[in-house]
Amino acid sequence: VTQKLRLARRTTVAATQGLLAIEPLLIAQDVDLLGAMRRSARQPSTRIIGVIDADGRIVGVAPVALLAEAVVAHAVPEAFFSELSGVAEVGRFGHAVEARTIGEIMLAPATITADATIGDAFRAMHQRQLSGLYVVDASGTPVGYLDLQELALRYVEALEGASGSTATGVADVQDPPGPSTP
Amino acid sequence: MDAWVAAILFLVTYALITTDRVDKTVAALLGGLLMVVLGIVPQASAFEAIDLNVIFLLVGMMALAYVLGRTGFFALVGIRAAKLAGGRPYALMALLALITAVLSAFLDNVTTVVLLAPVTLYVATVLRVSPVPFLITLIFASNVGGTATLIGDPPNILIGSAAGLDFGAFMLNLGPIALVAFAVLLVLLRVLFHGDLAVNEAVREAVMDLDEREVINDARTMRLALVVIGATIVGFLIHRSLGLEPATIALLGATVLLLGGRIEPGPVLREIEWPTLFFFVGLFMLVAGIVKVGIIAGVADALVRVTGGDGTVTVVSLLWLSGFASAIVDNIPYTATMIPLVRDLGHAGVPLEPAWWALALGADLGGNATIVGASANVIVVNIAARAGHPISFLGFARYGVIVTVVSLALATGYLWLRYLL
Repeated sequence: VTQKLRLARRTTVAATQGLLAIEPLLIAQDVDLLGAMRRSARQPSTRIIGVIDADGRIVGVAPVALLAEAVVAHAVPEAFFSELSGVAEVGRFGHAVEARTIGEIMLAPATITADATIGDAFRAMHQRQLSGLYVVDASGTPVGYLDLQELALRYVEALEGASGSTATGVADVQDPPGPSTP
Repeated sequence: MDAWVAAILFLVTYALITTDRVDKTVAALLGGLLMVVLGIVPQASAFEAIDLNVIFLLVGMMALAYVLGRTGFFALVGIRAAKLAGGRPYALMALLALITAVLSAFLDNVTTVVLLAPVTLYVATVLRVSPVPFLITLIFASNVGGTATLIGDPPNILIGSAAGLDFGAFMLNLGPIALVAFAVLLVLLRVLFHGDLAVNEAVREAVMDLDEREVINDARTMRLALVVIGATIVGFLIHRSLGLEPATIALLGATVLLLGGRIEPGPVLREIEWPTLFFFVGLFMLVAGIVKVGIIAGVADALVRVTGGDGTVTVVSLLWLSGFASAIVDNIPYTATMIPLVRDLGHAGVPLEPAWWALALGADLGGNATIVGASANVIVVNIAARAGHPISFLGFARYGVIVTVVSLALATGYLWLRYLL
């Protein structure tokens, strides 16, 4: 237990985020839903889209599932009518059918810094029910992406005794930020 | 001394419920249990005061509504209404109001408005009009429609059980005024929302493209649920001949539906609004306490003194007091408190039957005045906020107060003409 706790507390995000080739996917907040969906489809391994403002700073995140649901809600709203029974679900649906851009459906930013631990990262993902976080610098500009799978893989390695468990620098493994869409 | 403790306990509990400082179910249970713990009312009497007819009737109807809801029935009728209206906003508003009122008369108001809200939101969006007038329409129609029957609104269930008034009695006595109030509501909607209903002709086609067949999840269960609900309503009408209480009939209906539809009971029972039911449990015990110490009898005596024992003045005052109170506090605790008071008014010579109807009409129609007047209001306002269309207290009240005052005025005339003239 102590060893696992140490792993969570000492292993940095920077040492974890490059384990898999899951690239950041950054889309400008005024891109329409269909354009965003097309961009996402070209990069299917990234399940959390980073939504950025004109200065390139993260202003929100959009899980691909949320984006896909919004697109389906526009195309076939009937698919949702009989499935929604809770106040929150119905409200979200109402919001989704009115949305035109990814900025209108995005959730609050889900970010972490490269020197944070994977324990912090897991807690943030778990609390927000997200499968990834954007790694940002002090100005909020994205410098990488950490996927839940990468994080879990780090624990798998630890459990199998295969991990070296020492923190490495962010620059060694970090996914470079993807290009922004116009 | 007991009377003072009971009064303070009652007022504190009411304040907690009204201000939402503590969850209302927890507040009611705490208040009710403290009546027992402090020795104001014996445990056995407190438990006897819990009206199982009310609790089981609600359980049965909630289960029936839930099973019907998940078949896609509400979405089906919502889409049919939208298409029948041909994309004309006022026609759509009127049809949605009609569907909501009819469904709310026989099924839980909250279930009805939640399950009709997605269609409402979508149709308003494609018509490029604000969904707010349509969502407010759902609220008004659910409260007016719920007035018509024993099972339409929780205050009616409470009154029916306490006064021995059955489904037929509610239909015959409150049905006509509910119909009139609904017809006037349609006129008011047209006037109140006239400026919000302009639509671009080109976008109407999107409504007509909706395919209602897509929303039916389980046609067999839907048909079965409709048959069972129909049979349950017939059962309510003839329950005296059957020698069964409405609660037994509702539970029997739910059980038959579970059996006939081969539906696993666990998920259905989990969807029962247990917090609401335990809210009732707490209130029954709380009210038992203030009845036991004589507070209710004292208030009834004072009321009779103020009105001079005049039946007409007392009944009309009760109607407007109930309407006003239900606009401010939850109409369920209000009705639970007023039931023993009305009973005492009857002992003091006030005509009892119109007094029961005045209480029901005031509690049901008064719920339309503010966003906190009834559970359906709170739910719809919450949905609107999450959908990006917040409705403020005053923004709602500017329509709600007008609808309520007009409805109560109609109810005053009805009570006077039918029972007091």
